[in-house]
Amino acid sequence: MLIPTVPETKPIKLSVRNMAFSYGEKKVLDGLSLDIHAERVTAIIGPSGCGKSTFLKCFNRIHEVSSAVNVSGDMLMDGVDIYRGGIDEVDLRRRVGMVFQKPNPFPKSIYENVAFGPRLFGVSDRTSLDGIVEDALRKAALWDEVKDRLKESATGMSGGQQQRLCIARALAVNPEVLLMDEPCSALDPIATAKIEDLIGELKENLTIVIVTHNMQQAARVSDYTAFFWLGKLVEMDLTERIFTTPRVQMTEDYITGRFG
Amino acid sequence: MPIGSTLAHPAGIQPGGSRKADPMPDVLETSLTAVPANGGGGSAESRPTVPQAAESPAFRHSRTHRLADRWAHLAFLSCSLLVVGLIGGILFFLASRGLAAFWPVAGNMGRALHLSEVFLSADWAPSSDRFGILPFIAGSLGVTGLALLIAAPAGILTGVFIAKMAPAWMRNLMRQVMDLLVGIPSVVYGIFGLTVVLPLVSHTWLADAPASGFAVSAVILAVMIVPTIVSLSTDAFESLPSSLDEGAQALGSSRWQAIWHVLIPAARPRLLTAAVLGLGRAIGEAMAVQMVIGNNPQWIALMRESTDRAPFLRALFTPAATLTTELVQELPNTAAGSTWNNVLFAMGLLLYLLTMVLILATRRLGRGKEA
Ligand SMILES: Nc1ncnc2c1ncn2[C@@H]1O[C@H](COP(=O)(O)OP(=O)(O)OP(=O)(O)O)[C@@H](O)[C@H]1O
Ligand SMILES: [Mg+2]
Repeated sequence: MLIPTVPETKPIKLSVRNMAFSYGEKKVLDGLSLDIHAERVTAIIGPSGCGKSTFLKCFNRIHEVSSAVNVSGDMLMDGVDIYRGGIDEVDLRRRVGMVFQKPNPFPKSIYENVAFGPRLFGVSDRTSLDGIVEDALRKAALWDEVKDRLKESATGMSGGQQQRLCIARALAVNPEVLLMDEPCSALDPIATAKIEDLIGELKENLTIVIVTHNMQQAARVSDYTAFFWLGKLVEMDLTERIFTTPRVQMTEDYITGRFG
Repeated sequence: MPIGSTLAHPAGIQPGGSRKADPMPDVLETSLTAVPANGGGGSAESRPTVPQAAESPAFRHSRTHRLADRWAHLAFLSCSLLVVGLIGGILFFLASRGLAAFWPVAGNMGRALHLSEVFLSADWAPSSDRFGILPFIAGSLGVTGLALLIAAPAGILTGVFIAKMAPAWMRNLMRQVMDLLVGIPSVVYGIFGLTVVLPLVSHTWLADAPASGFAVSAVILAVMIVPTIVSLSTDAFESLPSSLDEGAQALGSSRWQAIWHVLIPAARPRLLTAAVLGLGRAIGEAMAVQMVIGNNPQWIALMRESTDRAPFLRALFTPAATLTTELVQELPNTAAGSTWNNVLFAMGLLLYLLTMVLILATRRLGRGKEA
């Protein structure tokens, strides 16, 4: 589907071929094929309910936790099939981090939320943990707000703070791929700008896939943009081309808000 | 209240002025339609006469409402007072009879006892005027604690399994089975213990004699309270949002790590409540325990004497007694007003207070950890 005209220097990190997805009998995604390059930001846009979150969750297989799902086709990470290639889903999720659409902090302290992942990997000495927690909170633009109340419960934070905490929590385990499902939908413009800066920094050594309803944000942060509609990929291209000279009329209509 | 100035301050019409919903719109409508009828458009001084609020149907309407409210209020109040009164009455009755053991009260047949010779003595021989109830206190705490130690982990893990792992058909089946089991009368568990469990372990390497004692009683009690704990902890886990589970596993926890590190802590207040309810049922249980515990008030002494077996086996399989079993055994055989009878009431009072304290303490524990 995607054949960039400028030479892409980064290798393909994630590759999807003819993928279809259903929750039980309900088909949500169909005939998807696309490539996601390492150290690039790929934005996924499309109207509500078109399957963006579902698509994102396919990369860490997290929907298997609470739903009966059916996936067909190929999904490869570094050339290995993440469904049939013998990868353990727990290992997969350690490499592919996720920030969910709705913030879901654990009912623990702020500190324990961020330290949760590192603790799982066996980091237990206090100084290393403190360092990881501070670093992650700083990256998520939350450190200054919470540094004096790390022991307080995370569930008492505002929605925007909770979302940034979830970003920090995901960063603390140092994933190879970061899936972000509308990470800024609950954030004010200042925090949004900080998160967008963070995305720019993170892509130095991380592959990012971000779902957003904000066209300006997609244009600002992403290198590639994929437009989904009713569970199908309509068009994927370099972001600047999607936003200037899309090949499909529907894409242009959606981006310019003339959709429907 | 000033009723004349209704147009300027429509809210002032409302008698009592506290409830907002019902009468307001009617009154407003009445007063507003009255304006054009009288020439309208006048200044504040030439304001038309508005039907007095007190005569409007809305007012009467609201008055009947208020009356109904008052009656409902009264009914609820008297019901709760009745319940509180009953509970207080029972406490008073227990206290007056129980405390009579320690004070020289008119109509008391026996002597007044010392607190220490009742609560700090293990020597129970009422016919020889010795009333140490320590064996029963220790018995109650021991058998309930042991039962909870078995039932709480088993019940909570079963709850996790039902809520988070079992396929839908099994989940429904298990829930129904648990709800059924909760309703089984305790005497059935007692019979099961007496006719199945006891013969099974009696005269084995566990117990060289009949195996009555803490072990079998605790197992029977645990079986009895497990359905309650399972049922409540299943609810607790099902009420957790699946996003919590997903969040934990998205960070690379295994299913069990997510359950252990996130779900169980998140559900802790409700799990504690489940355990307390189980505990309450266990500590008050007399029937089932009485059938298998052996009913031996002298169990502490007996345990001290026999040295032929390993201490923990001795502790588990010595015939013993608890506050409830002793009450059931002896209360019918004692004369009201006798010291013996009074001490039994004191045991009842203790049971009452013990339950209260346990419940309050665990509540506080649950609340403190939640924050
Ligand atoms: N757990 C589930 N079980 C069954 N159907 C689901 C489940 N989750 C999502 N769906 C359905 O799948 C479709 C796609 O949902 P999805 O959440 O992926 O949309 P989305 O593009 O992320 O929408 P939004 O922009 O509103 O977040 C919807 O029709 C939704 O109803
Ligand atoms: Mg979504």
